[in-house]
Amino acid sequence: MTQISINPVTRIEGHAQVLIDLDSTGNVQKAHFKVVELRGFEKFLVGAAVEEAPRITPRICGICPTSHHVASAMALDQIYGVEPPPTGKALRELLMLGQYIHSHALHFFMLAAPDYLIGHEASRGERNVLGLVKVNPDLAKKAIEVRKTGQRITEAVGGKPIHPATAVPGGMSHHLDDAHKSALYDMVKGSLAIARDGWAIARELMEKTDITFATITTGFMGLSNQGTFSFQDGSVQVIGADRTAIGSFRGTEYLNYIEEYSEAWSYLKFCRRIGGEYYRVGPLARLNLVNRMGTPSADEALKEYRAKFGEFVQSTLAYNIARYIEFLWACERALQLLGDPIVTGDKTRIAVDTVKNRRGVGIIEAPRGTLIHDYTVSEGGIIEKCNLIVATCQNNYAIDRGVEQIARGVVANGTLTESGTNRIEMAIRAYDPCLSCATHALGQMPLRIQINQNLEECRR
Amino acid sequence: MKIAIEELAGCSGCTISVLDLHEQILSLIQQAEIVYSPVIMDVKEPPEGIDIAFVTGAVRNEENQERLKTIRKRSKKLVALGTCACYGGISGLSMLSNSVDIFRCVYQEVETGKAGNPLPQEVPSFLYRTFAVGDIAKVDYYITGCPPKEKYLQTILPALVKGDTVQLSKKSVCSECDRVMGSVDKWHLRRRHEGIPDREHCLLGQGYLCLGSVTFGRCGAACPHHNIPCQGCNGPSLDILREPCRDIFNMMIRRIADLTGIPQKSLEKEMYDVAHVMYPYTIGSLIMEDKEISHIRDLIKEGSSQ
Repeated sequence: MTQISINPVTRIEGHAQVLIDLDSTGNVQKAHFKVVELRGFEKFLVGAAVEEAPRITPRICGICPTSHHVASAMALDQIYGVEPPPTGKALRELLMLGQYIHSHALHFFMLAAPDYLIGHEASRGERNVLGLVKVNPDLAKKAIEVRKTGQRITEAVGGKPIHPATAVPGGMSHHLDDAHKSALYDMVKGSLAIARDGWAIARELMEKTDITFATITTGFMGLSNQGTFSFQDGSVQVIGADRTAIGSFRGTEYLNYIEEYSEAWSYLKFCRRIGGEYYRVGPLARLNLVNRMGTPSADEALKEYRAKFGEFVQSTLAYNIARYIEFLWACERALQLLGDPIVTGDKTRIAVDTVKNRRGVGIIEAPRGTLIHDYTVSEGGIIEKCNLIVATCQNNYAIDRGVEQIARGVVANGTLTESGTNRIEMAIRAYDPCLSCATHALGQMPLRIQINQNLEECRR
Repeated sequence: MKIAIEELAGCSGCTISVLDLHEQILSLIQQAEIVYSPVIMDVKEPPEGIDIAFVTGAVRNEENQERLKTIRKRSKKLVALGTCACYGGISGLSMLSNSVDIFRCVYQEVETGKAGNPLPQEVPSFLYRTFAVGDIAKVDYYITGCPPKEKYLQTILPALVKGDTVQLSKKSVCSECDRVMGSVDKWHLRRRHEGIPDREHCLLGQGYLCLGSVTFGRCGAACPHHNIPCQGCNGPSLDILREPCRDIFNMMIRRIADLTGIPQKSLEKEMYDVAHVMYPYTIGSLIMEDKEISHIRDLIKEGSSQ
């Protein structure tokens, strides 16, 4: 069997392969997005003292640890029967905003932008953030600056910039003092100015976006707070591929909507709606579900986005622009919140003692999409059952189909060029997949693109 | 000077911790060329002639092992970066059950799964256990931390690139903690979420299993500082690492007994969920398991036979 492999596919979080089977004429027969890693958190959390979960689960992912940390703490609030005080809630929101700013800036400027600003034809060694430092040092410095702001927020509120530790059942363990708050306020102000200026770059990319690239028609799922963008309030909205409202859910009701299936060739599970319809999550989905972002610059940007793509968007590359609008929103919202005295309040947590409910479900919008942590515990607070639904499993089908679509276009006579390879990678990268999250992985392998040609072809 | 960052079984957090040098990374890349790092750049294989390779993550499957062998061969110096590479990290907890049970749980038994879902087969096999990088390859330097902290990487990385050595603290988390010991007269064990600890006094003295005294520092005691007991994510303190008769569990028991006068035997009986509470970051380390007094062997045996 002839195998052309590109190993690893890069500028994504985690490791996998793309497998392309060719027919005897050298054309693509089928292509799959194959993930070869699994860590098994759902299994090894069983038997754990449940209060350890908010610090163990962030280790699923070093890019979006905060989402796991907060979703886990939300599940624990329910288990211990408490509602965090307003300051505790505000600090959790601020912590998540730090995450959004860092994660979205990382993806937009450092992982995805090289495709647009340096280009497919550049050499592998140049098409990355270090190449960006050479071709556009000013932009690279700004990207570093905004991501730093995100990480500084996470560090001040969460104790550490990566794998934060302060979200506990009942609220937050630490209060934010005035000195830290003022320092963060100034940093966010600077970052918001960069984010507003940067919209010009995102707008230019938007104008050039190929709306058919790796596009697929699916339904969508995501939180919406009565039509306003939110990553933590409201209920999860479910809409069909034709934009009809299917329903909405909170807590364990997710079980009425989501099912998971698997394939023998991938460690990564696939989610779909019970009944079989496919859906997507993440920035594209969230913007399809809201009427407004709720902050001025992001709302302006949303108008332009809708003028370009329409009110209901299926275009895969629109993910990158939607992600930028969320980044802009996160900077604006963080500045609002840091201007509110509630974040420096003293009462950050309510003391908890024994288990009040045997089950808790935390649902939050992680940067990459809807995240669900569902724990069932014993009366002594030991985890008996655990289910984690993460963004990339929910986008797995769409990524897989997008890969095949692009592969059909770029593989010619059994060969795949360097720029063709990068186009396949772009179809994956648009979703900003997080494979460590997706597989809560045990051991992992880089994303490879392999071309399998049948044996006859090989002999010829 | 050519440097590379390789990812094994982990979360990419250590690579992000290098990016967390922020503007300092611009001066670093003037002195050293990053020739390979799959999370941030498109070079597909580590090239020959790497001066310093940073390896992050644990070794859990055959592919991890192969990658480790390749990068070791192609590098002059190899640095185990982060707690997974140094001690197996959180991936080691997977040894609490066997791989068939993990697969069944993940694909079939979770509530959104189905009994008929196929188990992945055309995928790399797990090794029989988790390994730290140093368990199977020669390591020149260890940098612990989950992930290593910006403040220390700011000192360590430029020095490594220049070929200099630096003197850093080798003390435990307690040495960086500002708390003082309070009264332990009414000491009783508390789960880490119970009540609200006071900010002035030692968390262990207040009854919480804070692992600060058995954990290597260089984190600024970030968790105790934020009123959270240490979970041991920087790996074992140097005395535990060096002394065969010292282990995380027995040193914790000994310390509480010394503090409170409660007999060690009765303290041992009170301990709960030892795997996730005491060993979550070191259970995958052969060095830690090989200590005669370690509880890791029993925990693995217990878990995998269930």
